[in-house]
Amino acid sequence: NTHLGLELRLLLLYSDHTLKLRRLCFLGRTQVIKAVHGRLLLQPLQRSWTPETHRCCCCRCCYRALFYQSALLARPLVVPNKYQEQPHLLTARIHSSQALYAGSDSKAASLHWTAERVLSILLLAMGPVAYFSPGPVIDYSLAAALTLHGHWGIGQVLTDYVHGDTKIKIANASLFVLSTVTFAGLCYFNYNDVGICKAIALLWSK
Amino acid sequence: MALLLRTFARQGVCLSKPQYSFLYRHAAPMGTTAKDEMNKFWAKNARLNRPMSPHITIYQWSVPMMMSITHRGTGVGLSGAISAFAVAALVLPGNYPYYLDLIHSLSIGPILIGLAKFGIAFPVSYHTYNGIRHLYWDVGKGFKIPEVYRTGYTVIGLSIITSIAIAMI
Repeated sequence: NTHLGLELRLLLLYSDHTLKLRRLCFLGRTQVIKAVHGRLLLQPLQRSWTPETHRCCCCRCCYRALFYQSALLARPLVVPNKYQEQPHLLTARIHSSQALYAGSDSKAASLHWTAERVLSILLLAMGPVAYFSPGPVIDYSLAAALTLHGHWGIGQVLTDYVHGDTKIKIANASLFVLSTVTFAGLCYFNYNDVGICKAIALLWSK
Repeated sequence: MALLLRTFARQGVCLSKPQYSFLYRHAAPMGTTAKDEMNKFWAKNARLNRPMSPHITIYQWSVPMMMSITHRGTGVGLSGAISAFAVAALVLPGNYPYYLDLIHSLSIGPILIGLAKFGIAFPVSYHTYNGIRHLYWDVGKGFKIPEVYRTGYTVIGLSIITSIAIAMI
């Protein structure tokens, strides 16, 4: 465009709060190259306001000139011709690298979370079933669901309050033993004794 | 003028040239998991023997806070009770009706029996209703503060009513 092979870019803030990237051309006029809405362009922008507000000669709106700056530079960016369409892509490239996550690919924690909620809903459903149709099937299901729900719940409590690699290992191992014993005891009770539903019914008939 | 512009260009454009983008293209932080970060935090502070800042001793208690810790408390309590029951079933001689008759023979007044039933029913119903409230949050609803309080009071009210009703059966 210009015979120097260089052009000046100005980010102009108009009085209606629109932002337009304009190219200062050879004849001193400006050409809109991009109307800027998104955050992408503004994120690294250090705003330096020119003190005067200008009036546009053609459309009579006023604007203020912001020099387009990036965090990498502390001065107005003068972009050689062939990079003229690139400036927003520079910032896109810097920020897209944040999308590279650090750490493993494992979805284990997320799946665990979902499983906890599914189990809670299952346990909720078991309540009315145990009340309206007690029996061995619901007894053993309740034993399993209650134990597992309690195991995962106490697991979360331990995760919150126990710190230090050895202590965490010991706590989780103890919990595992406790949950196993609990499940064994409940199954033994279901098999050799009256069963969970009957036990609650008998207790309440007192 | 041209010289001025060229100076600006030389100083300003260096890193913005696309061919330099390879320098920051993979500018991601060092790879650690959240678990590693947490462990490192605790290990460092334990090693330096740092005291913990006061938190629950100085922060003003609120209804949501109290409901949350009550949910945890009832959960741990109920889990402990179930485990105790299971261990007792394995260890104690005799069967369930035997021990029930033992308690019957203690001739506890109806008020105390009602109180005991309420004492069993309330943790169960509170934990259940607040659990439903948690599931409501898990689908993303009810996070506005007035909603939190509204659902909270609903849970408390329902728990008390349900527990009284069950205790009277």
